[in-house]
Order: sequence, then C-alpha cells, then structure tokens
Amino acid sequence: MILLWTAFFLGSTPFSATASSTAVEAKDLRGKTVRLKQPAQRIVCLIESALSGLYMLGAERQIIAVSRNVYTGDVFPRYAALDERIKDRRLPAPGNWDFVNLESVVALKPDLVILWSQQTEVIENLERQGIPVFGVFIRRIEDIYQEVRSLGRLTGREKRAEDLITYTQKEVERFRSRLASLGKKERPAVYYMWAQGNLETSCGGSMVNELIALAGGVNVCGDLISEHQVVNLEKVLTWNPQVILMWYNERKDPRHILEDPQWKGIKAVKERRVYEFPEVFWCDLWTLKFLYAVKLTAKWLHPKRFQDIHLEAERDKMLRQFYGRVVSGRP
Amino acid sequence: MSLKLRPFWFYLIPLPLALAALFFGPSEQMGPDRVLSSMRLLFGGAASADETALARSILWEVRLPRILLAFLVGASLTVSGTALQALFRNPLVAPEILGLSSGAAFGAALALSLGFLPLQATAFAFGLLAVGLSYLLARGRKGVSILALILSGIIISGIFTAALTVVQFLTDPFKLQTIVHWTMGNLHNANWDKIRSAVIPMALGGIGLFLIRWRMNVIALGDEETRAVGLNPEREKVWILLPAALAASAAVAVAGIIGMVGLAFPHMVRMLVGPDNRKTVPVSLAFGGSFLLVVDTCSRTLASFEIPIGIFTTLIGGPFFIYLLKKSRFTMGEE
Repeated sequence: MILLWTAFFLGSTPFSATASSTAVEAKDLRGKTVRLKQPAQRIVCLIESALSGLYMLGAERQIIAVSRNVYTGDVFPRYAALDERIKDRRLPAPGNWDFVNLESVVALKPDLVILWSQQTEVIENLERQGIPVFGVFIRRIEDIYQEVRSLGRLTGREKRAEDLITYTQKEVERFRSRLASLGKKERPAVYYMWAQGNLETSCGGSMVNELIALAGGVNVCGDLISEHQVVNLEKVLTWNPQVILMWYNERKDPRHILEDPQWKGIKAVKERRVYEFPEVFWCDLWTLKFLYAVKLTAKWLHPKRFQDIHLEAERDKMLRQFYGRVVSGRP
Repeated sequence: MSLKLRPFWFYLIPLPLALAALFFGPSEQMGPDRVLSSMRLLFGGAASADETALARSILWEVRLPRILLAFLVGASLTVSGTALQALFRNPLVAPEILGLSSGAAFGAALALSLGFLPLQATAFAFGLLAVGLSYLLARGRKGVSILALILSGIIISGIFTAALTVVQFLTDPFKLQTIVHWTMGNLHNANWDKIRSAVIPMALGGIGLFLIRWRMNVIALGDEETRAVGLNPEREKVWILLPAALAASAAVAVAGIIGMVGLAFPHMVRMLVGPDNRKTVPVSLAFGGSFLLVVDTCSRTLASFEIPIGIFTTLIGGPFFIYLLKKSRFTMGEE
C-alpha cells in the first residue's frame, strides 16, 4: 500500500516539484496526517534535527524561520556555511524545542510549522488557527526515515528523500554486513554516557541501543526499556563494560573517565577503550547522520575488521551526499 | 501608613489597560505605532483578506486570550492572598503557604510526565487536595488554629515538593524541561481553552470572597471577637478558605507558579486603600489583575525571548516590595 502510494506520488508530481500546485499529505511522528494544499513554501522549523533534514532535502529556500539553537552553540558555524541567511542572522528564530513565541510564529504566516511533538500546547494553539504542524519525535531509526520521507513529500521533494534514505540504508548495510559473522562473544559490552552526567545513559528501545547493536556491540542495559536512565555507579561496575562511549561533551574528555579513581576498575578503562563522539553536527543521532555515529562506533568496537576504513573520508563522503558539500566552517 | 485612595479609581483601570495591551506584542504586526491601521484591519477596511486574517489571528487568538488570562490570574492570586492574609492575621501568608503551589506543581509534573492525564485539571485537583489536607491536618477538637494551619501547610508543601522531585528525577530530560518551565510560571501558551477551564472556579472564588468581604474584617480580629459578634469562626474560616483556594488553584493550574503575586500584591493594595477588607477585596481584583497584565505585557514585548512570567514577577516584585516596606514602615492593619 505504501509502495503504491509512493509510486502514485512519484508518478503524479512533476520533477521540479517545488512549483507544483498539487495537494500533498504525509504522516508526522505523532501519527497525524498533515495535509497541505501545495508543497510548503513558508516553513518555520523550530527543531534543529528536522532542519538539518530540510537542508539535506534541498528545501532551504522554503524555510523562513529556524530554531534558536541554530544560532547558539556548536552548530552555528555549520549552518552559517550552509545558508547565507543564517550567517548574516537574517532568518528569524521564534523559538526552539522548549519555548515558542506564538505570536512571532503566527506573524510569519507559515504554511508549515515543525515542532517537537511533545510541545502539545503550542501545537494545539497553532492548529486551532489553521496552521499545519508537523510533530517530530524520534525514537528509532525507522522514525528518522519516516520523518525524511514525510518532509520530502510535504516539501515536494520525495525523490530526493528516497535517494537519501536508500543511500543511508545501503551504507549502514555495508558496515553491518562485515559484522554478520560475529559470534555472541565477540560483541563487546558497551556503556553509553550522555553529556549530562557520567551515569546518564540510554537503555533498550532507544536510538542509542540501535546504534550499538548495528555497530556490533551489546548495550549493557539493553534489557531495560528506557529512553533515558540515570543509573548508579555500582550497576556500571557490575556490568563491567568493555567499551565506554561518550556523547560529545564540552566539559569532559575520555581522559577524565580514564583518570577517575571510581571508574578505574572497569574493563573499558583498564583497556583504555573510552571514546567520545565528535561534535554533534557530524553524527546527530536524530538525523540521517546517525550513519556516521554507526561507522565511528563500529570501528571503535571492531578496529581490526574496519582497518581499511578511514573515518574522516567516510564522513566527508556522507556530507557530500547529504549536503552536496563538505560542510566546513570551523567553530 | 497607607494612601487611602478611593477604590473607585482602581475600577477604571482594567478596561483601557486591556485595550492598550492589545497593541503591544513581539511581532511587528499591529504595534502601538499602527493602532489606527490595525483598527481598520479589524473592522474590515483591510488591504487584503490575507492581512485581515493575520490581524484577527494575532489579536483574537494570541493576544486577547493572553491578556484576559494574565488579568484573571493576577486578580485571582491577589484576592486569594488578600483573603488569606486577613484570615491568618499574618502578612507573610500567601496562597502558597497552604501547600497549594507545591500540590499543583506535583499534579502538573505528574500529568506532563505520564502524558495521559489532563494537565490543568490534574494541577487544579492536586492544588485543592493539598489545601484540603492542610486543613484536615490542622483540625483539632477545638477547631482549626491558625498556627496549626500554617504548620500543616508547610508540612504538606514539603511532602508535595519531595514528591515533585521524585517525579522530576524519574522523568527524561526533555520532559523535565517542560516541568521546570511549568514551575516557572507561564502565560505564553494562553488560549481560549485555558480561560474556559479556569474562569468558573476563578469566578466562584472571586465572587465568593467579594460576598463575604465584610466578614473578613471580623475574622481579622480573632476567634474570640468573631464569636462575640455572633459568628462561628470555624465556619467563617471555611467560607474564606474555600473560595480563596478555588481561585488560586485555578490560577496556578493554568499559569504555573507565579511568584510574589499572592504575597506582595495584597500588601500593595492595603498600602493604596487601607486595611478595610470591604475595599481591599474588590480593589485586589482590579489592581492585581491590572498589575499582572502590565508585567506580562512587558515580559512578552520587551525581548523576543521572554522571561517566564513567574521569574519576572519575582524579580521586579521582590525589590519593589522591599522598597515599599522600607518606605512606609507598613504593618498589618496597624499604623
């Protein structure tokens, strides 16, 4: 059915779909169907991960306002390199995943507003005024594909969306196929650490769990279903992970964990297998760029099997595929 | 010392103020410089249908509900504070003292964290539950003593705060942020639904307190004196407590915790018109509502990224309150 639907759309939409006046519809991540009279031309995107998806789709000219987070922190130089309007701070930023200035959003006369699906009050207020809202909520890789596919449809770029997804799936498979022969014992136990604190992790049913599994490891708390979990140190000591993965952290490096007397009994620390992800823009787990996180993790977990892989070359290849260029612009 | 202004003047403030507030906002649409053209827009003389729709949206769906909500919340918290300060014969009392805010905050956190409970209703229910528990705990054989009520309020408040912390601890960081925001107080998500959900308990509370305003003067004299004029102090306490809790719970449920309003605004009212509750109750409604409306209009207009209203009221209300206290050497009803 979905295939038929897609085929119908691919068939019926002209190739340069931007100017098309056909109605479009797609499901968002709340499961709600968003209907537009024509592909969105005035998008207010207050979720940074979805924004990066819009740039990948090549829909940047349809964006009229972005998340405040784009202007702060590490991602700014990247987006500045992607879009002159962000570099000159000309694109308004009427909110983010946390706070939305309702009036500023309404005044921009958007034809599509992209929000986090938990911002229920704002969503309700906007929808009541007839402004379509696309709610984003990513828990699994499949959600990212769905988001890209739906946004592709709503921006009139479904062909590009399919290309992006196919490329990502192929690349994930390229890495995963090398790990297919791994025995159960060869899959290292991995502890994942968020930047908020050493003991904040993600267990089963999370993007992190999928990431670790794809890269040929086993999440130490994979049995527990919890997107975000604060664990205690004794638990970590009992799990005794062979590898520790740190999400990008401004205040901490693997060195801090390696030197921490409380952590020194852990296998990963003894074997000095503590790794930190690079800046979030390269490997954001809530975007297709999770691909680079998979590659990084796979090589960290199984250095011998991926000896021939040069991570930076892989990264640049991915960026060229996603954004049409290697997004530079040093922070 | 108090200025003893005639209450009449305060009743004239709200309407023009609310109308003026309509023309302030963060977007360039319908700023104060464009009042006339906006009026034209509203009344059909617009350049295009598109512009009229936008003007309507912004004025009718965004600004007006927020203005009304700010006024209602300010009025409810102030009148509730005024009533409770009279009841407790204590100028340090605010609706928060009975555990109302912590109860409501716990309810809101629970609703936000679980996802299937209605936010406002849960906050409202737990706010009232906390007040009810405080009251029942304080009830002894000889009725409710003021001291026992304050003490039980503090205990109930502490318990709900602890429970709130547990909920926060168990909640993932994204939802946690929503809870934290809620506890900071917010009016930026105001809409007609919120007004609809809050206006009935607020009106019941406000009208209730208005009707019994003269009895507050008697209650403020103490239990013995109340009995001496032939009133039952226990029953009077309930009749003040109930509407005060209704109004304040509804306010906290829709707007989160807005600090200082219930404590400082009643003082300002007494400084302006004197301690007679026959005047302070209606003036609290007009003045408290207007004042919060002004503060909220500033908070939504001055910066593109607004400071949560609860923080704003505390930041400007606190120093202003201290200034007034220092200046007037004001004491509760005594001069």
